[in-house]
Amino acid sequence: MRGKHSLFYHILIFIIAQLVWLSLLGIWIYWYVSNYIVFEKVGDQVSPQLVYDVQNTLPFILGLILLVGLSFITSLIFRHLNVQLRITQLYDNFIGNVTHELKSPLSSIQLYLETLRQRNVPAEKQKEFIDMMMKDADRLESLINSILKISAQEKKKQLRDYQVYRADLIVKNLLEESFEKFRIGKENYSINGEAPCEILAGKDSLKIIFDNLADNAVKYSTSAAKIGVKLSCNTNKFIIEFTDNGIGIDLKEHKKIFNKFYRIYNKDIPNVKGTGLGLYRVKEIVRAHRGKISVASEGEGTTFRIEMPVYRNSKN
Amino acid sequence: MVGDFKGSRILLVEDEETLAVGLEYNLTEEGYAVKWAKNGREAVEFFESENFDLIILDIMLPYINGFEVAERVRKANPQMPILMLTAKTESADKVKGLERGADDYLTKPFHLQELLLRVEGMLRRKSWYKHVSEKQPVYSFGKNEINFENLSCKNAGEEIRLTPREAMVIKYLIEHKGEIVSRKELLENVWQLNPDVETRTVDIFIARLRKYFEPDPTNPVYIKSIRGAGYLFTEE
Repeated sequence: MRGKHSLFYHILIFIIAQLVWLSLLGIWIYWYVSNYIVFEKVGDQVSPQLVYDVQNTLPFILGLILLVGLSFITSLIFRHLNVQLRITQLYDNFIGNVTHELKSPLSSIQLYLETLRQRNVPAEKQKEFIDMMMKDADRLESLINSILKISAQEKKKQLRDYQVYRADLIVKNLLEESFEKFRIGKENYSINGEAPCEILAGKDSLKIIFDNLADNAVKYSTSAAKIGVKLSCNTNKFIIEFTDNGIGIDLKEHKKIFNKFYRIYNKDIPNVKGTGLGLYRVKEIVRAHRGKISVASEGEGTTFRIEMPVYRNSKN
Repeated sequence: MVGDFKGSRILLVEDEETLAVGLEYNLTEEGYAVKWAKNGREAVEFFESENFDLIILDIMLPYINGFEVAERVRKANPQMPILMLTAKTESADKVKGLERGADDYLTKPFHLQELLLRVEGMLRRKSWYKHVSEKQPVYSFGKNEINFENLSCKNAGEEIRLTPREAMVIKYLIEHKGEIVSRKELLENVWQLNPDVETRTVDIFIARLRKYFEPDPTNPVYIKSIRGAGYLFTEE
């Protein structure tokens, strides 16, 4: 609400500024033309020797250039301001989301610790509570990691733990781990295709990609998420196509979803939790692997297509 | 510990599974009967099909958010105590929650003991209120007539509904007619809260009550502000 208002004010100020410039320009032209006419009429009579053409046209043209230039600069400043404003809004949302994501597991851990301190909890329950706390601790860890690693990624300080892997084997393993983590049962996913090529990749980085895609598939599905993954290789590229049966992504959002802090709002499934960092990280990781990521979605379901270069050992 | 309120039915609306399981365990141990709704849609469904004595409500919920759930509950049952439980800490959210009909607000992370005390306090106030409103169900002043039993009030022909907390505040002021009641006193007796942190809450409720009962809320004649001291209910 507040954001919308300030955007409105900025646009209003911009329009007013432009109107002021234009009227100033109008007055300038009017002043010049009327003076010129008067000058031309009486000039000859008063002082026939006076040469006025060059001297008068020069300030006129300079004035015009100045006004047009100023108006152009205002537009530039306005554009820049708008971009800044949008980033600030996204950042505010991000802070809000992160606060929420941090506080939820924290309060749950606190609740279990206080429960264990204050009550005589039976051994069986104790174990259940400890499992719950572990889950929350994992959640906190991955959130904190994602924030810290993002800044490391941005500063290009990412640890290069890259190794050569056989593409389909490593991807299949990591996918299965991710599906287990997000409780996607074996009956709800399939991994097809063969990719006997090799890739140079960071195992942890790849894991982050699949965790994020699986997490999104679960969060943006109204019923149990169903996922199909197709792996393939050609001479140059290793291709992963990750398809879910979620609510889909509007065409106009396809580019934006990879932006930092950007989050989709869909009225069919409101209040989805997240930080707006997931797909941004995915994109950055794919890029670090010299690959490409794209999205396709028509109505229901979404396919993410990841392409990575095939590794060729120069000795072979 | 819970005494008379054992067996009270609580609707717990929380989408974070780990938190909900822990809360359910603790509330059940206290002797309450707990029903857990995982999202806003379920919350509304359960509320419409079963009877509850109190609702513990998260704000960030899938499908229907907590503010909207609170509004729907208020419309159907103005006397239902609602405790909002949320990770949002901005005061704007707090004000919004209270305006939409929450009676109390607890931010995450919270202490177990505090939550249990607040739940018990809300249940106790609900029964205290029921008890006193049975003694003197209707009170009139000026053009206003408040029915403390069904929380309806008529002013100059118009009929509005009070929330339980609004009714409790005006009831407390009426019971102390002609005396200055401080914010601290209201917080301690009506909210049972720590007065150091929550005085803004009282002002929100007073502003709402003035809107209902005062002919001109900016120049109050019934609920007067006494600078630096508190509020005074008078029928002059």
